[in-house]
Amino acid sequence: MKLAAILARKDLLETLRDKLSFVFILLMPLAFTLFFGLLFGGGGNTDKLPLAVWDADGGAAAKQLVADLDKSSVVHVVVKQGDEFETWMADERAAAGLLVPKGYSAAVASGEQADLTIVSTQGSNGAATAASAVRSLAGEQVTVELASRAAAEAIWTTRSMRSGSQETVVVQSAAEARPVVAAALARPAVSTRVVEAGAAAGQTPSGFILSSPGMLVNFILFSLMTAGIALIIERQNGTLQRLMTTRLRRWELIGGKAAGMFLLTFVQQILLMGVAQLFFGVDYLRDPVALFLMMVSLSLVASTLGLLLASVMKSEQALIATTVLVSMAVAAMSGAWFPLEITGPTFQTVGHLLPTAWILDGLRGIVVRGFDVSDVLPAFGVSVAWAAGFFVLAVWRFRLSD
Amino acid sequence: MSIVEVKELRKQYDPPKGVLAVDGVSFGIEQGEIFSLLGPNGAGKSTTISMLSCLLKPTGGDATVAGHSVVSDPQAVKETIGVVPQDIALYPDMSARENLVFWGRMYGLSGDELKRRVDEVLELITLVDRQKDRVDKFSGGMKRRVNIGVALLHKPKVLYLDEPTVGIDPQSRRSILDGILALRDQGMTILYTTHYMAEAQELSDRIAIVDHGKMIAVGTHEELVKIVGEGARVSARVDHYLEGMAERWREVKGVEKVEIEEDEAVLLTEDPNEVLPRLFEAAATAGSRITEINVTEPNLEMVFLHLTGRALRE
Ligand SMILES: Nc1ncnc2c1ncn2[C@@H]1O[C@H](COP(=O)(O)OP(=O)(O)OP(=O)(O)O)[C@@H](O)[C@H]1O
Ligand SMILES: [Mg+2]
Repeated sequence: MKLAAILARKDLLETLRDKLSFVFILLMPLAFTLFFGLLFGGGGNTDKLPLAVWDADGGAAAKQLVADLDKSSVVHVVVKQGDEFETWMADERAAAGLLVPKGYSAAVASGEQADLTIVSTQGSNGAATAASAVRSLAGEQVTVELASRAAAEAIWTTRSMRSGSQETVVVQSAAEARPVVAAALARPAVSTRVVEAGAAAGQTPSGFILSSPGMLVNFILFSLMTAGIALIIERQNGTLQRLMTTRLRRWELIGGKAAGMFLLTFVQQILLMGVAQLFFGVDYLRDPVALFLMMVSLSLVASTLGLLLASVMKSEQALIATTVLVSMAVAAMSGAWFPLEITGPTFQTVGHLLPTAWILDGLRGIVVRGFDVSDVLPAFGVSVAWAAGFFVLAVWRFRLSD
Repeated sequence: MSIVEVKELRKQYDPPKGVLAVDGVSFGIEQGEIFSLLGPNGAGKSTTISMLSCLLKPTGGDATVAGHSVVSDPQAVKETIGVVPQDIALYPDMSARENLVFWGRMYGLSGDELKRRVDEVLELITLVDRQKDRVDKFSGGMKRRVNIGVALLHKPKVLYLDEPTVGIDPQSRRSILDGILALRDQGMTILYTTHYMAEAQELSDRIAIVDHGKMIAVGTHEELVKIVGEGARVSARVDHYLEGMAERWREVKGVEKVEIEEDEAVLLTEDPNEVLPRLFEAAATAGSRITEINVTEPNLEMVFLHLTGRALRE
């Protein structure tokens, strides 16, 4: 057992420090995620983001804020009230929504902290951009208001000073106003709260939400090639045989090889999901346990399939050709390139013979619909069954040398 | 009992029609000796080693290593042996040290002991200053040395070396052969395969000559060359009148046969040490001077030729 773990660790490190595999494991999938994400309308920042605004306040300050927002280079405002606003958010027709609550103008006028609510939608990574635009404009507005008030008050207190030059009065007034302005600036002028709209059930997600899990599955399958080639090379250069002259037992050898592939694909998932989470606005962490189950499922299926392909294929060339074919076909049929929802029922049924289709449903469910563990259990079961099958076949066909 | 005991070992690849690579081989290796399998390409040397390493299941017979059967108790056998495969089996993208550390772990070493053994082996294979370099940057000889070093990490009782000097420069070969002799002197039992006659002769305490899967002779070098049944060959040239000289030499005690081949006389004798001074004496008496003289002792090459009718090509 310990020896198998050492073997797996060696395999992982050997792959990770190879510069070429870095390209295959990380760069290519990210490039494709970006490409498909933008293709599906994932929110390039080239156009102004549509911002749905519901002005429930209607006061002077609120009107001013909406006007300022519309002039900004980041968003363009679509005014929607009540139900209409809700529908827009649910349909993800806007990148984000802004709710200006009653009492906003009054709060601004009295120099108190003003509250705003930003509604972000799942299918877009524009929410963060829109939110920061709102925050800075509203903050500016409130701060200007506060500073003006402070100055006015200072002038009021220093009005009795008839004597003295204009210069002295200005200096005095400024000195009076300074602490008030400073104090006002120290606390945030507006508080914004970001809430998620949650996509309506049965809706086809778009953008990175769509491309990230798809490309993840596609390239995890693709990296079977890297792991499989490593195994074939070991079979050809005699190290596999040599391993069997050490204390390592046969099951430890096969187990260690499978574990190495498992680790590799798992690390790859962490990296790809991390980048998607941080930079593409895909929220994988909505249910970490469910996510973990799906990651385990995908790595199980991928590593056992990789082991099987490497056991069956004789040469590197044969393996590369087969892996490209298999991974592309499996990825496409599982809905990694385009969602199965847009295909016909036959395609969907056929697709769902594959464990990867289930895993993709699980991953997208987690990201879009907030799936929890019970929702992804079937996908986990299907994956474990397939992985067990692959593994048994791989063990049966496993050879030490050609 | 011998530490390695081989009984009627057989291996047929892909039976029933496949190659009979090893055809009923039996021998024993004593503790602390170097035992060589000498034979041409395809003789079945590697196949024998593979069976003794528990990598291949014999199709007949059995072998024991330190009393453990390779068929029924492979795990115990594997803990006794170190195997140096014919083809270099290392991770080319890892450094020499990383390779040794990894293989050491596979032999069950860890911690301080592992570190100490890796250092010792690096010293032994004289690669201390190149230990951090990737193996694929090494010369053939250096790779061969690492390939051997791996099998020494766990100080095995029995070491198998399958043609460890193929394709390397004379210096590397020399250092490998010296290393092997040193290991034997420390008490290690060594099974060595080669198709270089000189190597087998120099290294081995005993030699088994194999051909077509069969063992055709076994013994010490002296025992084996006796099989040829001929003494040494002495060929000589003189400054004038070779025929007359040959007549006189025919009379010298210990000379069995004299023939003239072109411009030299070829003599056969059992004991060249005794005969040579007499040849010079006879020449001096006849007023002739020996200008060139060569002694060829019978060798394994001649044994192989004698037993198979074919040359053991170097
Ligand atoms: N895996 C295999 N499958 C089928 N036949 C094989 C296999 N390995 C070896 N042979 C055959 O068995 C015979 C013995 O081969 P082996 O490799 O044991 O010889 P060898 O003495 O080690 O030769 P060399 O000096 O070339 O290494 C050869 O005829 C070879 O072709
Ligand atoms: Mg061989």
